Amino acid sequence: MTSAASNDQFLEPIERALEAYDEPTLRQVAGKLYRPRNQWPAEELRRRCIETLSNAPVIDRRLKELPIPSRGVLRLIAQSRQPYWPVGSLVEWAMTLGAGDGLEAIRTLLESGVLYPQLRTGGNGLVIRGIETWLTQTSDPQVYAPPFVTQRTLREPLPLDVESLRVEASGPAIEADGLEWPLRLAIVHQQVSANPLRRTQTREFFKRDLERLRSDALLGTQPGESLVEIADPGLLAVGLANAVGALDEQGGDLFAGIFPEAWDKGHAPALAEIYASLWKLRGWTPLGGWDMAADASRPLASATLFALSLLSHLPDEAWADPRKLETWVLSRHPFWASKPPAEAGIAAFLLGLAPTLRLVQTCKLPEGGYAVRLSPLGRWILGMHDAPPAFAEFPKTLLVQPNLEILAYRQGLSPGLIFRLSRFALWKTLGAACTLQLEPTIVYRGLESGESLESLLQTLDRYGMKSTPTPVIEALRTWSNKRERITVYPSAALFEFATPEDLAEALSRGLPAQRLTDRVAVVASEGKIDYKNFRLTGTRDYCLPPERCVDVEEDGVTLNIDMARSDLLLETELQRFAEPLDRGTSPARKSYRLTPASLRQARQRGVTIDALTEWFEQRAGLPLSPAAALLLSTTGESVPAEFHRRLVMHVGTALQGDGLMQWPQTRALIHQRLGPTALAVLEADAEKLGKLLAELGWRIRFEAG
Amino acid sequence: MFPTTADKARIPVKLHRRVCLVQTEDAILAEELLAHRKLASEIVGRLADRILLVRPGRVDSVVQELKKMGHTPQVVTDGAT
Repeated sequence: MTSAASNDQFLEPIERALEAYDEPTLRQVAGKLYRPRNQWPAEELRRRCIETLSNAPVIDRRLKELPIPSRGVLRLIAQSRQPYWPVGSLVEWAMTLGAGDGLEAIRTLLESGVLYPQLRTGGNGLVIRGIETWLTQTSDPQVYAPPFVTQRTLREPLPLDVESLRVEASGPAIEADGLEWPLRLAIVHQQVSANPLRRTQTREFFKRDLERLRSDALLGTQPGESLVEIADPGLLAVGLANAVGALDEQGGDLFAGIFPEAWDKGHAPALAEIYASLWKLRGWTPLGGWDMAADASRPLASATLFALSLLSHLPDEAWADPRKLETWVLSRHPFWASKPPAEAGIAAFLLGLAPTLRLVQTCKLPEGGYAVRLSPLGRWILGMHDAPPAFAEFPKTLLVQPNLEILAYRQGLSPGLIFRLSRFALWKTLGAACTLQLEPTIVYRGLESGESLESLLQTLDRYGMKSTPTPVIEALRTWSNKRERITVYPSAALFEFATPEDLAEALSRGLPAQRLTDRVAVVASEGKIDYKNFRLTGTRDYCLPPERCVDVEEDGVTLNIDMARSDLLLETELQRFAEPLDRGTSPARKSYRLTPASLRQARQRGVTIDALTEWFEQRAGLPLSPAAALLLSTTGESVPAEFHRRLVMHVGTALQGDGLMQWPQTRALIHQRLGPTALAVLEADAEKLGKLLAELGWRIRFEAG
Repeated sequence: MFPTTADKARIPVKLHRRVCLVQTEDAILAEELLAHRKLASEIVGRLADRILLVRPGRVDSVVQELKKMGHTPQVVTDGAT
């Protein structure tokens, strides 16, 4: 049994709900849960509510006071191993248990403080003003039932007439090994690791994936231990893998996630985990298969759990007829009761999925058909036994062959080993002896997910019936070594020291870094750095836009770098178009110069005037200097330039210049106006112009020489 | 202002955060990668013979390209490989 109220994970949803209750609702709930004798403040009421939930005798008294349908709902929640349920399913259970008003039974549980509204983290500032209001004004309300409360209802059976379900069977009980779905979920995980599953906006798979999963050579086949056909087994496996948390939903698409820890704890915890996820499975029904558009999985989930609960009311050895069970449930379940169909999928579940999950044993009936009863594992999962049954262990179960094929004998497999193998070997066939193939891609993926050559060899040696063949060891070593050739640091921290001695000192003080150059070392994760040993002279974040750290001197070609603000990209960028300048000044500043040679080289490397303009704007906050533009645009190309002999005539005022340009006599003798008071004159015209100006009374003076 | 005793013990360092790097086993392999046109366009510089600096935010495309070239790069994140 879950230890009372000791686990924060179980208490958190209750604390959230109690915080959201307004004071009258809180007082109402506290009043029913532990009946306070004083007028405590709200905070004290919440604290005492939490305390009471871990007080077994008080909880038992409260549970006894509840009407049977309400208590039965808590029992079903406990048997589901799933503390979160939609109110709709609880109402269906209450009505199947005979309650005239199913919602009333649920309201009683909420008001009694043994069931709580499920709220998002933080609660979004929601205030619950009365249970009735919350139930009626919330769209598809969900609730949380604390496991340490619901589990106390398990030992007291409900007054249900189950005798009519019994059937006599004398044949041998058939029980599966329960590994079918752990194997299939591992295959799904393996496939999704290679190719994530995309989904449409309605959370449906694309047609190509639907067809692929339906016809997949491994997932699309029927499990050998199923007594009836399981519809869309490939899609069911994906749905279960998602419900169990082995897939990770990102933006509606499915990626490989992390397998639950329970898988490493053995058969029973792993199967219990898959069982608990059945109730979260959406889009699949035993008769209809995968159909997200016409999803009838929710009422079927509540009905199926009810059927399993009915089986738990029978003695350990008693057999039941699955068709009678289905009829019993359908005739009382409010979703079907008004017009019960011949079948809705409960019997199909009991003879299809349930045996392959090792939830039930089956027995062939002499008159045809099968009888079912909960298996010892099923009885433990549904809370009827304290301990799970023991599973036989055959630790040496792998036969690793020189052709890189692994034969895995099923009786020795465990969910943990299945998952381990899936990380580095490709499942090829399922059967009494499953086969896997070692391939570079999957081995590489295994190494990526944290395995090492040593851990792979260790697994093969530990579970192998014979020592691992040399060709296999060599292949794994080759693939592993190949991986060592290139290392990618996607988000590293680089430590740039002033001197090689500083770097050596930092490493001697335990900086978990790898030396890259004589002054630079890399740390894969910043979390491991003890900053007390360092004084940061500058910090640059490479995911932020480039920082301005360059001053351009007046000449337009000398660039001074502020080393405290510069980054590694800057240095590599500069090397493409500038030459370092050794001025022997402060180490906090470094200089570069743009030269015709450096810009010629830049041009050859594809640096354009636009790229350099952008760089100047980003790094210096200035447009490209005219000198730099000049050097870059003229480098390597012949630009037309001519030298001509001219005389330059300077006049006293701009008005005089304008006059000379306007008067036709003088205008014809002026070659070009250079400025307001400067005019260019051809040597041949100088004498004639001089005479004209002399006639106007100007004094003409020629520069000596 | 004079450094305190504690400051004296501290090593001055410039920290470059969230840098994306590719480190190769030898310089020839780095040359080989730089000679690959698509990959070279994602490399902004060469920090050392075996160290290539990747354009920020382009690591996924670099890893994909390396895989296409038949390499099996080891991606180091949070200290785990």
